[in-house]
Amino acid sequence: MRLEPRPKTFASGAALVWRWQRILWWIFIVNLVLALFATKGMVERADWALSHSVASGRLVNGFDLFSIAELAAQPDNPLEQPGPAVFHYSVIFAVFMLFAAGGILATYVFDAKPTTSTFFEACGHHFWRFFRLVIYLLLAFIPIGILTAICGSIYHRIDAVSNSPYSADFFFIAISLIVLLLTMVLRLWFDMAQVIAVAEDETRMHGTLRRAASLLAHNFGSLLWLYIRISLLAWIVFGLGLYLWIYRLSPLSTAAVFLLTQLMLVFWIAARLWQRACEALWYRQYQAASVIEPSYTPAPSPEPAPVPYSTAMN
Amino acid sequence: MNGQAIPTSSEPNGALSTRVVAYSIDAKLNTTNHAIDATETLVYRNLTGQPQQTFPFHLYLNAFQPQSTLMTEVRLNGARGIGADSGWNDKHRASITINKLEVEGVDLAGKMQFIQPDDHNTNDHTVFQVTLPQPVAPGASVEFHMTFHDQLPEVLYRTGYKRNFYMVGQWFPKVGVWWKNGWNCHQFHADSEFFADFGTFDVNLTLPQDEIVGAAGDLASTVNNPDGTKSMKFHSEDVHDFSWAASPDFTMVEDSWTGSAGPVKIHVFMSPGNMTSASRYIQAQKGTLAWYDKWIGPYPYGRITIVDPPHGAANAGGMEYPTLFTAGTGWFMPKGLLVPEDVVNHEFGHQYWYGMVATNEFEDAWLDEGINSYVEAKSMDALYGPKTSMVNFPFATLGSSDLMRLEYISLPDTDPLTRFSWKYISDNAYGGVTYGKTATVLLTLEKIIGEDTMLAAMHEYFLRYRFKHPTTEDFLKTIEDVSHQDLKWYFDQAVYGTNVLDYEIWDAHSDRLNWWEKEIRAKSPNEETHRTYVTVHRKGDFIFPVDVVVKFEDGSSATEHWDGRDRWIRYTYDRKAKLASAEIDPLNQVRLDRTSFNNSFVVQEDKRAIHKLHNIWIFGSEWFSQFLAWLS
Repeated sequence: MRLEPRPKTFASGAALVWRWQRILWWIFIVNLVLALFATKGMVERADWALSHSVASGRLVNGFDLFSIAELAAQPDNPLEQPGPAVFHYSVIFAVFMLFAAGGILATYVFDAKPTTSTFFEACGHHFWRFFRLVIYLLLAFIPIGILTAICGSIYHRIDAVSNSPYSADFFFIAISLIVLLLTMVLRLWFDMAQVIAVAEDETRMHGTLRRAASLLAHNFGSLLWLYIRISLLAWIVFGLGLYLWIYRLSPLSTAAVFLLTQLMLVFWIAARLWQRACEALWYRQYQAASVIEPSYTPAPSPEPAPVPYSTAMN
Repeated sequence: MNGQAIPTSSEPNGALSTRVVAYSIDAKLNTTNHAIDATETLVYRNLTGQPQQTFPFHLYLNAFQPQSTLMTEVRLNGARGIGADSGWNDKHRASITINKLEVEGVDLAGKMQFIQPDDHNTNDHTVFQVTLPQPVAPGASVEFHMTFHDQLPEVLYRTGYKRNFYMVGQWFPKVGVWWKNGWNCHQFHADSEFFADFGTFDVNLTLPQDEIVGAAGDLASTVNNPDGTKSMKFHSEDVHDFSWAASPDFTMVEDSWTGSAGPVKIHVFMSPGNMTSASRYIQAQKGTLAWYDKWIGPYPYGRITIVDPPHGAANAGGMEYPTLFTAGTGWFMPKGLLVPEDVVNHEFGHQYWYGMVATNEFEDAWLDEGINSYVEAKSMDALYGPKTSMVNFPFATLGSSDLMRLEYISLPDTDPLTRFSWKYISDNAYGGVTYGKTATVLLTLEKIIGEDTMLAAMHEYFLRYRFKHPTTEDFLKTIEDVSHQDLKWYFDQAVYGTNVLDYEIWDAHSDRLNWWEKEIRAKSPNEETHRTYVTVHRKGDFIFPVDVVVKFEDGSSATEHWDGRDRWIRYTYDRKAKLASAEIDPLNQVRLDRTSFNNSFVVQEDKRAIHKLHNIWIFGSEWFSQFLAWLS
């Protein structure tokens, strides 16, 4: 079935994120705390070199690459440690987000205020289903990986035979955009599968993926445009933030830089939640549109309608 | 500065150099199989002061074979962008074959004997020697007549082809140098360059008519042949090598500059896509010419040719030959990244340090690459700013002399500057020591003898040794002569040794003089006397006199001068004011100090730098987390 998103879906998605902004702040705080842990070692190791040294002034009044490199060249390189730590804490964050996805989507799909217990119930309820989806997602990435490898060899071939330096580089840019688009489509597909899994309390992920694919196929342009619009907005805000950071903020204002970078990140997280909220809204509209009008009006039920949120939890 | 520096000659016919060799080469390029067939006549003047019967020759192109010494060393350590353990690709195979070698009508091809003076690798065929039937008397000349065939590699190690581009260097049989009472003719190594005698070159190149040629000589004539080829005659004198480049896709850009020795034509051969860098090359070339003319000496050749390799041929880039060098850029080269400027500056510098002051690049690499790096740092910083001469973005900057120091501090103690170039522990050590450490050693020398004296010494060194083959001792003695100082203590450690220079503030604090009277409080802080201790520690084994500046909270200060001979020294002060800071080398002149972060101690903690770094790391970490979460 084809369903044109209502014009308000884009704005309503933003409103949904705003309404349940506690989710946004919690994700932001978890992300920040994990980043603080990831970089703690570096700060401690670099502290001895910087906090009481005149040489640290080179970093304060600008960004002197030599000072960074000099720090890195020390026998007890204080900048060496964060690499693996950042990766490990990022993996923890990714697992956290996978866990939280059930609660987030339940909030957006049913648009009902979650209590702490219902939120985490939803998280736990859907975690293993989403974990299975991640495995399918990784499998789906394989063709993209193969395509990337093939394009890589074509790139090298063009680079070797073409006298123009543009041919290979433009090919590379074009392929990068295509791969990015394909990855975004995959993300859209699996996001939709997660929404269906939550909305329908679906346990069979195969079937969910098939339904999501079918929905995506019938509404590809409108759904993708929804995602792309939000992504573009996120990148524009990110670019604007970088501009302010580089050109407008004083190199001495570390507090202002911290605030700016964290605001950039908040918007980035919000944009991602916005995409998910829009998809949840879209699916609610789809559900509503796909209910067949009864030929007669049934008598009103004496029982109050069950709260969809708690139903989904059972 | 160089008003009396215009070259004068005591040689016959106004020659600038003592011309030992005269090469006449007639070469034909085959663009189908990337090969050259040529005849060569070499007239060698025996100025060795003794009869010579055995002559060694370089055959550099034979290094492009998997079992050669060059490739064995590359496989072990990597070099010039090729990683260690890299595999062999047969497109990089090359060779030079001498089909005929005649002296005075006698065919000596059968008497050629490959020799391996450096490593006894019998699979290395980059040097051969031949013994003549009769010795050549002192002062007499001998003519060698050769025919040879070059098979060029796909660009590797400075030379070869890439699609329709040719960079042809080290391509003909070249005689060794009689130096220090012996023949000096080393094999081709991964980390070594070249050494040859001055002379003249008359080169006739035959190649397709659509080829645009940039060569290290004055173009005497061009003749179109009936077979679709053309023959171009080039002449060059008072140089020790001849190289050329060709491509039908070159765009030649011309300009000129006039210095104390007269006008210099600048020819730039640009590859497709790189045209936006042409003006950057030319501006950098003019700026560098002017800087050298002012501080080092005149550039006596009437031309300089810059070859811009096409994409995919970067390995031909950044290489110097007399009056010609290869540069390097890309179609997208931000202005804030001064790569084109730096390559031009460095490679042009070699016209002085290698081209004219023709040191032995095999044995004294620091005298060409190192001195050139020092002058590069001086001139780049002067032309583009001391903190912005390499990278100049609003968000990040880097200066040339800082980059040199960076190369040095990464590997400060593996090899002395005087190590033969192929005997370094690794390719990185060769680069770090030969380029970075030398530049840093000479920048630090400025603290001892003064910047002006140092530049005067460089000027004097150039005047004394242009068109000669000076040694390490010649260079060091020139500095001592000009500065009127005995610098053996410095050279022993910095040039001949591997000593590491690292001073630190071991401890710095103030204590109440009447510390035992814990219960008694002074009425005001100014009435209480403090004893301040500052302990300076020489961490490394390099002994160097340093200044220590101690500042106090009331704004007063004390300056100490420590000879650095003991392992540490403690300074004590009894003052009303407490310590504010202690700093070694406050003017940052001892560039050889490996770590500048431990050179000072400021009592007042300043977290701004760490906060700044922390901001960046937090942001990067958060972003990476977002990316990973998006994927899952």
